[in-house]
Amino acid sequence: MLTLLSMFYYICLRRRSRSGTRGEALTSRRAVESGHRATLPINVEVEQYAKEVLDFSSHYGSENSMSYTMWNLAGMPNVYPSSGDFTQTAVFRAYGTWWEQCASAPLPFRRTPKAFHSQDYIELAFEEPVYPTAVEVLETYHPGAIVQIMACSLNPFSQNPPTDVRWEVLWAEEPTKVLTPQARQFSPSIKQLSFPTNLIRVEVNSSLLKYYTELDAVVLRGQKDRPILSLYKMPRIDICDLSDSDEELSDPGASFGQAGDGKHINLGNGYFDKLPYELIQLIVSHLTLSDLCRLTQTCKLLHQHCCDPLQYIQLSLQPYWARLSDTSLGHLQGRCTLLQRLNLSWTGNRGALTLTGFSSFVKACGGSLVCLELSCCHFLSEPCLEVISQTCPRLQELNLSSCDRLHPQAFTHISKLTRLRRLVLYRTKIEQTAMLSILTFCIELRHLNLGSCVMIEDYDVVASMLAVRSCSLRSLDLWRCRNLTERGLAELAAGCRLLEELDLGWCSTLQSSSGCFQHLVRNLPCLRKLFLTANRTVCDSDIEELAANCPALQHLDILGVYYLPLSFLIYLYFSLSITQVYIR
Amino acid sequence: MYGENYLLNVFVTPVGSPTWGACFLMCSKSSVADGVGGWRDYGVDPSQFSATLMRTCERLVKEGRFTPSSPVGILTSGYYELLQNKVPLLGSSTACIVVLDRRSHQLHTCNLGDSGFLVVRGGEVVHRSDEQQHYFNTPFQLSIAPPGAEGVVLSDSPEAADSASFDVQLGDIILTASDGLFDNMPDYMILQELKKLKSANYDSIQQTAQSIAKQAHELAYDPNYMSPFAQFACDNGLNVRGGKPDDITVLLSIVAEYTD
Repeated sequence: MLTLLSMFYYICLRRRSRSGTRGEALTSRRAVESGHRATLPINVEVEQYAKEVLDFSSHYGSENSMSYTMWNLAGMPNVYPSSGDFTQTAVFRAYGTWWEQCASAPLPFRRTPKAFHSQDYIELAFEEPVYPTAVEVLETYHPGAIVQIMACSLNPFSQNPPTDVRWEVLWAEEPTKVLTPQARQFSPSIKQLSFPTNLIRVEVNSSLLKYYTELDAVVLRGQKDRPILSLYKMPRIDICDLSDSDEELSDPGASFGQAGDGKHINLGNGYFDKLPYELIQLIVSHLTLSDLCRLTQTCKLLHQHCCDPLQYIQLSLQPYWARLSDTSLGHLQGRCTLLQRLNLSWTGNRGALTLTGFSSFVKACGGSLVCLELSCCHFLSEPCLEVISQTCPRLQELNLSSCDRLHPQAFTHISKLTRLRRLVLYRTKIEQTAMLSILTFCIELRHLNLGSCVMIEDYDVVASMLAVRSCSLRSLDLWRCRNLTERGLAELAAGCRLLEELDLGWCSTLQSSSGCFQHLVRNLPCLRKLFLTANRTVCDSDIEELAANCPALQHLDILGVYYLPLSFLIYLYFSLSITQVYIR
Repeated sequence: MYGENYLLNVFVTPVGSPTWGACFLMCSKSSVADGVGGWRDYGVDPSQFSATLMRTCERLVKEGRFTPSSPVGILTSGYYELLQNKVPLLGSSTACIVVLDRRSHQLHTCNLGDSGFLVVRGGEVVHRSDEQQHYFNTPFQLSIAPPGAEGVVLSDSPEAADSASFDVQLGDIILTASDGLFDNMPDYMILQELKKLKSANYDSIQQTAQSIAKQAHELAYDPNYMSPFAQFACDNGLNVRGGKPDDITVLLSIVAEYTD
């Protein structure tokens, strides 16, 4: 109220000063300014470190650990301003372009907007909501991965969360190469917000980095009260930045103008009428989803084109995660009857998508679904997976990466998807029985990711089952599968002869002295990627055998090996005639 | 404190914080128990392991990632975190952790190896930790061995630590020390020194701790003195006299009323 009055007062004064002399104008302004200082409180700037890490897409460390895990990003910095690799920092799972170049990586979705670069994210809650003036990220190793910073209107600690949740982009940019791997304080200039926030989201893209980026802390600077200055800046209405998302994805049928007298005046569509249908379809197929939805509202012909289910064979809603809701899904339902590849990763959290909305969409559009990406979809529950298993018999790819709130019982439904070829269960709570059940029935599995699946008790049993049932397995990710022994590995080598990618990083129970690695590489001639990260026991003879038996090898990770002479690395490099070797 | 390789940290939580009150952590380097040589033979700096274990346990305590009534959990988690280091971290360490629970007036302790603690009440030892030894001069220890040497290097699990919890009263003196003290000074000598402690203020406690350490240091270099270590050696058939020169760390505290 006070600020409105002062604005009104100031505007009145300005009007008066325009008509008066210049001298008068200056004095009156000075009077107003001093009046401001006398009557209004000083706006205190608050500086806070993150109180809690709420959500994230991946991390390098183990669950329940404080080494290289995302929980390190909360609180005060542990390492900054030192540079280097430290366990007390927050590190994401991947970097560079390796993972995307593997055969196990999903094909990119068409229509991904050029401005969407994010590969990973982390959400942080701060103690007090403020109007942000700065967000500083303390990066301690290989900085430069941050591509977007966003703020949310929801207070995650409030008892009564509001129904409408808004996310605003504070800053965004393309990934750029940073020349030095040294620590730095990253503080981009952020947009002014019209609401206070204590929930910040940082999105990263590590593809240009030469090694993992490591983050130590995030500082949120802001003012408790709404800054006065924001009143003098008229908000720029950016055509490309529609904050009311439902407009984009809403049913455009209602927006057709009719001529004032109620009659349709058919003006024709000009040259568009002369173009063949297929050609307009081809043109329209290059538009991003938001442009497509806007184009739908222009005229009847283009509405028909833009709603044609052939335009929605692939649909990626991940770039629009902040604005997707049950309603938007409902609006898209009619067009997605031929849907084959659907990306809903990162969407639906904090109540945006519910079981009703999701199952309605899947039941309407899931019949031909071949690929379903549901990474970090915390809205998922057991009934959702049941719906998927019943409605999508042709499903070949399912990604449930980091769906760590999904109840273990939910995974039992996956065994009904017998055509599955690619299954990602990274950081989920799947249990052994469900896993064995899936392996029994999904015999066409080619790519399986069980990284950090901590609830599986005995990986030797899983390996045994894989050897028997999954003979066409091409890639297997057993990152941090702690109790795999040489027995399981031997069975794997015997049964899955087509394996091309094998990640055994941090599997501490594998001992080279048992000969398991040599046995492995002798039996897997197609190996292109082998990760033995942090296995201290790997020795020279293992590497010799690798060089002798795996001519196709391209990616090798032997980080943390206790002793390996340089001569062997050179030997390896020359005996495998490869274009790219990454040996760390 | 005499010597450099003993690490000690004390945490006291502010009044008004939930459960516990103070936590003493002690991680001491120990020589690799293969009967042959020390860690340096493997190219390992022996102090690095205990220093990192210390820092890791410290972080766990600071971040509240432990149960006050079960300090062995700090040890287990700390050891597990050491294994998460990308670069292999080799070495060994004994450990002693004591947590004072302000609310329940209990002391929760955990000891792995030959450091230990004493609780003294009314001039008498009411609680004492037991030295954990496999055999003479070979204490229990947490360790990470170089690959291939696992069978040779002694490595005890954190769960092998002795855990004990008991009530404490106002005025109880808690003395935590490395094996350098207990090897050179029998209990009655320690008690004698503690009798000299008149008031519960910081300076007099500091002074007493220092005098205990100093005395133990002097005894360690006395070639004729029949130290507890020498006694133990004789019991094991080794004809030995004199003290045992070693690093000595003493931490002394009194359970007192909180005053502003």
